[in-house]
Amino acid sequence: MEYTIKYKAKNSYETQVTDALWQFLIAPQDNESQKLRLAEFKNSLNAATEESTNSLNFHIYRVIQRKAFKSIEFEANFIVRKEEVNPFSALDSIYNAEHYEQLNSLDFRISHEQFLNATELTSYPYTGVDFEFEENRSVFDNLQQLNSWLFSHFKFKQQVTDTRSTTQDFVTRGAGVCQDFTHLFLAIARKYKIPSRYTSGYLHQGNGYKGDSQMHAWVECYIPEKGWLGFDPTNNLIALENHIKVAHGKDYSDCAPIKGVLYTSSSINSTEYSVEVFAREENAPDVFSQSQSQSFGDHANQQQLDFQLQWQQQQQQQQQQLRQQSSDRF
Amino acid sequence: MSQSQTQSIFSSYEKDPKFYDEIFDEDGNVKKVYQTLFDLYSGHSSQDYARLNDKAKASFFNQGITFQVYNDNEAKEKIFPFDLFPRIIDPKEWEVIERGVLQRSKALNHFIWDIYHNKKIIKQGIVPLDLITSSANYLHQMIGVDPPGGIYNHISGTDLIKHSDGKYYVLEDNIRCPSGVSYVICNRTALKRALFGVFNHYNAHTVTDYAQNLLEMMETVKPRGVDEPNCVVITPGVYNSAYYEHSYLAKAMGVELVEGRDLFVENDFVYMQTIKGPERVDVIYRRIDDTFLDPLEFRPDSALGVPGLFSAYKKGNVCLVNAPGTGFADDKAVYTYMPEIIKYYLNEEPILNNVHTYHCSRPDELKYVLENVDKLVIKPVDEAGGYGISIGNRLTKEEIEKVKKTIKASPRKYIAQPIMSLSVHATYIEESESFESRHVDLRTFCLLGANKEFVLKGGLTRVALRKGNLIVNSSQGGGSKDTWVLKNKS
Repeated sequence: MEYTIKYKAKNSYETQVTDALWQFLIAPQDNESQKLRLAEFKNSLNAATEESTNSLNFHIYRVIQRKAFKSIEFEANFIVRKEEVNPFSALDSIYNAEHYEQLNSLDFRISHEQFLNATELTSYPYTGVDFEFEENRSVFDNLQQLNSWLFSHFKFKQQVTDTRSTTQDFVTRGAGVCQDFTHLFLAIARKYKIPSRYTSGYLHQGNGYKGDSQMHAWVECYIPEKGWLGFDPTNNLIALENHIKVAHGKDYSDCAPIKGVLYTSSSINSTEYSVEVFAREENAPDVFSQSQSQSFGDHANQQQLDFQLQWQQQQQQQQQQLRQQSSDRF
Repeated sequence: MSQSQTQSIFSSYEKDPKFYDEIFDEDGNVKKVYQTLFDLYSGHSSQDYARLNDKAKASFFNQGITFQVYNDNEAKEKIFPFDLFPRIIDPKEWEVIERGVLQRSKALNHFIWDIYHNKKIIKQGIVPLDLITSSANYLHQMIGVDPPGGIYNHISGTDLIKHSDGKYYVLEDNIRCPSGVSYVICNRTALKRALFGVFNHYNAHTVTDYAQNLLEMMETVKPRGVDEPNCVVITPGVYNSAYYEHSYLAKAMGVELVEGRDLFVENDFVYMQTIKGPERVDVIYRRIDDTFLDPLEFRPDSALGVPGLFSAYKKGNVCLVNAPGTGFADDKAVYTYMPEIIKYYLNEEPILNNVHTYHCSRPDELKYVLENVDKLVIKPVDEAGGYGISIGNRLTKEEIEKVKKTIKASPRKYIAQPIMSLSVHATYIEESESFESRHVDLRTFCLLGANKEFVLKGGLTRVALRKGNLIVNSSQGGGSKDTWVLKNKS
């Protein structure tokens, strides 16, 4: 599956800005399941653009404008190829005590310490969380339950929280955006010693839903024997080929798509963003097609296949729900 | 010298056997290294000292050495109180301090490298994981970063005290850009101006070579591919309480003193704006805190740093002195593991004593703590900034019982240390116009570069000016003394 992504941002200021620098963390990551085929980045002032990496080695663009201005527009275009990877295995739902032992072992905790500790934005709320991991349930299933619990207990609503909102704010209000769903997921998963990281990127919701959307956020958890797997609690999905990853970090502060340093007397400014994600092939399906899931071949384990199919149905349903609810549920 | 004069200036001097006296031995006799000084001082009247004291103060004002005290909502420029009676350390005693300070500094450097790379010391079970990762000064941005020359704590300021047993103990290691070295140098200047005749009778090591050694050390940690590194000092600005020191060191090294807005980053290299155009910067002695270094990587509201600086650092294109993220290692909790840390990385016995720490999590140590609360300082393991500390000899019986209960309820959360007493030293007191005994400590300064080691032969002897007070911080009304390290007679 190939996607085109168009990211646009416009910053306007009340008075002149004399010197400015922005950093964008918006380019899709090049990894095993996705290839960045093409990337282009431009701005309306032809200000110098540099490329570098942040402290976690994710690609960044830096724009430096040294002449006075009042408004600037940025536009990035990407073409990404997503591999269709089947993340499921027959073992996912089988309880294995060794997995929990591994999570508690010193060596494991040392190698994943970066994503095991609560941060200011991912601290465990004082009250209002009535979710617990169940004993004798697999790590994967417990995380799935957490994903569903968040989805069913919290409403997606914009403008009730902001980027500094805590998990407690979110729990108290019962509503928020993808950052809030993600931060609370991180707080709970880390409490159960699951290495979990904030992941930013783009979500393909289906062709024809354009404009007015922003970047998306979800969680990646490390499951023993399995590795990192993405959970999207805002949509109750497992992150698959519709989730195009940009970066990960401890919380939002590591993944903010745009950071700016400005020298101006004015604090009043406005920022507009838009993100559009299109599947490149005409009529390409949004989820696994029947034929693709059969490509597991003759030796495919029936249980695995069943799970796969069940999952597709679940995803399809949710995708439909998603479209009915709103075009910008992020 | 007449007996009456001796009495006049040392008449208020009280001897307290509970504390180690730097000048007088147990029998009340002046120690050998102080004898000449004592004789010379005793030959003067109290009026002479009042006059000399004014002269020394004037010297400080003239040198422009002031610091700010923030209280009553107004910032006041004050001079750092300087004392006329120097501290003298003989060569034998100093040799141990010098080796000990260097040993700690090297061990800490190994420790920081290990924590940001393999964490072997945690895997070996010597230092607990949570101790490190729960520290706000542990920076995940530093994981896997290789600073030029492999050095993290280029500059260390280890604080020592002399306990009533006459031995030096380390109070703490400061490896987050410790300050105070400019006072060491200015104390020497002021003392020489006020009492040149006295100084001439002793053969003390110079302290003015510090800046030269600092610059040499900075040049050893230049980025790869740079021949002659361009070094600068970055300061938060004139309103910082240590601005005098920043400007002094830059001037003494002959390098530029800059603020964040004087520097910029382009394609991951750092440049300085000059009238001749941009000039590349290779080594930065930064006197701004970690989280203010780069608003793109740390605190976004920092106006003191340089956007993009951390990317340049991570790529090895600039060296920051000290490295970011050293602060977890000079933490109070990590301090208690220093003897183990030294043994683990250097395979040596610690040269300087650590204050003994009882871990209440260990049953036999818990038993001792519960039986001796009145002789100990009880500290929570996880609280910083002096919260929850109980000083045993200041507690009532009821309070002691309460503390015991708290410890018993969660022994893992507490450690205990013996109550340390700082040694005392004769100090000129303006109010009584005579010398009285006051508590002192000693801050040492150690430099570590690539194949470069230097310990300043001298240090900042800080004095608690209020009688009986144990707190020597300048913000708490402390003063300082010139500190002479004597040369070997040979």
